[in-house]
Amino acid sequence: MKTVDVDRSLCDNHGQCAIAAPEVFRMNPDGVLEYEPTFDDSLLGEVEEAIDVCPVQAIFLKD
Amino acid sequence: MSTPTVDIPYLNISDPSFAMQSEELRNARAASWYARTNYGFAVLRYDEVSKLLKSPKLKQGSAQWPAHNGVHGGLFYDWWTKNLLVLEGEDHHRIRRLLNPAFSPRLIKDLVPRFQALANELIDAFIDKGECEFIRDFAEPYATRVLTILLGIPESEWPKIARLASTVGLALGVTFKRDLDKVEAAVAELYEYADELIKDRQANPGEDFVSRLVLASRDGDRLSDEELRNALVLLIFGGMDTTRNQLGLAMQSFIRNPEQWGLLAERPELGAKAVEEVMRTNPTVTWVTREAVEDFTYQDLFIEKGTTVHLFTQSSGTDPLAFPNPEMDLLGEHAPHYGFGGGVHHCLGHFVARADMSEALPLLASRIADPHLTGGDEWLPDSGNTGPTRLPIGFTRRS
Ligand code: HEM
Ligand code: HEM
Ligand code: SF4
Repeated sequence: MKTVDVDRSLCDNHGQCAIAAPEVFRMNPDGVLEYEPTFDDSLLGEVEEAIDVCPVQAIFLKD
Repeated sequence: MSTPTVDIPYLNISDPSFAMQSEELRNARAASWYARTNYGFAVLRYDEVSKLLKSPKLKQGSAQWPAHNGVHGGLFYDWWTKNLLVLEGEDHHRIRRLLNPAFSPRLIKDLVPRFQALANELIDAFIDKGECEFIRDFAEPYATRVLTILLGIPESEWPKIARLASTVGLALGVTFKRDLDKVEAAVAELYEYADELIKDRQANPGEDFVSRLVLASRDGDRLSDEELRNALVLLIFGGMDTTRNQLGLAMQSFIRNPEQWGLLAERPELGAKAVEEVMRTNPTVTWVTREAVEDFTYQDLFIEKGTTVHLFTQSSGTDPLAFPNPEMDLLGEHAPHYGFGGGVHHCLGHFVARADMSEALPLLASRIADPHLTGGDEWLPDSGNTGPTRLPIGFTRRS
């Protein structure tokens, strides 16, 4: 199963990932990213989209 | 609400002579993280701009622009009030999700050879003269033709598209109401273009950008024809003048920093870094406008619902608290700039703009040496979106 990892030293909390894949990424009320490293296989397409749209390219898939 | 204990600087940001890169602004930033202005607050420092740009308590601040100008209906009004930039919440996110896949950085990589060919063609046309008007001869045709390449419109149409987009641009100016008829006619003409493109790609879908928009769907949802044409006009409008202005400012930055130009000529792989450094120190979008959706207090400042907040880009990108060596430096390691905005409205086209500018700059540097101003340059004011509208330069051909 694949998991997802955000490089926090790069992440700038733009929240574009939370628009692309809201079931995996969300912004807390302070505007800071929270996410689930593991996700259902059916969400893989959305996660790949989140990886694409991240303005600073901080999101990575791991096997 | 607490009373400020230090004197809060005041900036007259709609004065045409107001300068971003000035002693006045540096002093204000040293004294305070924000300034009062004749038009809401201005945020001057990096940390605060970074936080407020993504704050859920602020929304994009231009939705009411037509209404502020006494315009309450018509084609421009309908287009403006439904475009991605001013939509919020789920209405915004839904459109953004449907547009996103066409802007994937992997797909934009395929266009790089065409960007390179275009840059070389434009340089070929003036290189033997030893001088050019950089906006007319490079920045404008490059920015516009990149958009026609992206949208799959014949490149020969570019002067017409450029003219229509700048006519719609009159809607952003102080003479909006007076120019309304012209603006309406230009929106109508751009809609015709967009409708034709959409019809054509619906009938003959391919692998191109517009086909991807036409075919985009998610969870059974897709863009209506009206949403598609609204988006296409937004891309033409939001992608052309911005890129033209940013390229003009890049030339200015390198004229001021000749050793950086030499470095770029020797090391073309620094093209992407050059774009980031130009945009950090000399951005075309000088501020991003936000509006408070509720009363809130940030640090020592009470911000009332409805207040306009301008997030300053050049000021934050050169803030000594975040950048101890704020000068442009292609070999430096710097925090990200906000020249493409940030948060949910982060520029949708930034991969395109970054890809095309990071090809253009090293190609220019590798072919022309010692660019310098020859006089007669003309500039937009520093408020909002800035850059040269005319930039005559001289140079020597690199052997
Ligand atoms: C150097 C060139 C460019 C610069 C400096 C730039 C800058 C920006 C900025 C600052 C914003 C955010 C505005 C705000 O939050 O108030 C923005 C949004 C946007 N830009 Fe760009 N842009 C550039 C090129 C492009 C291109 C080439 C396209 C399209 C092909 C584009 C399409 C958009 C769109 C659609 C939005 C609205 C996004 C949203 O609201 O979700 N831009 N841009
Ligand atoms: C799509 C068509 C667009 C229209 C009709 C439009 C409209 C406006 C208006 C009405 C203003 C004047 C606001 C003021 O002076 O207070 C403005 C300014 C500005 N626009 Fe746009 N805009 C468009 C697209 C964009 C895009 C895509 C960007 C991102 C690059 C952008 C960035 C800005 C910025 C940074 C300012 C100056 C700050 C401000 O909002 O006051 N605009 N625009
Ligand atoms: S889109 Fe990228 S930068 Fe923005 S919150 Fe997600 S991971 Fe962080």
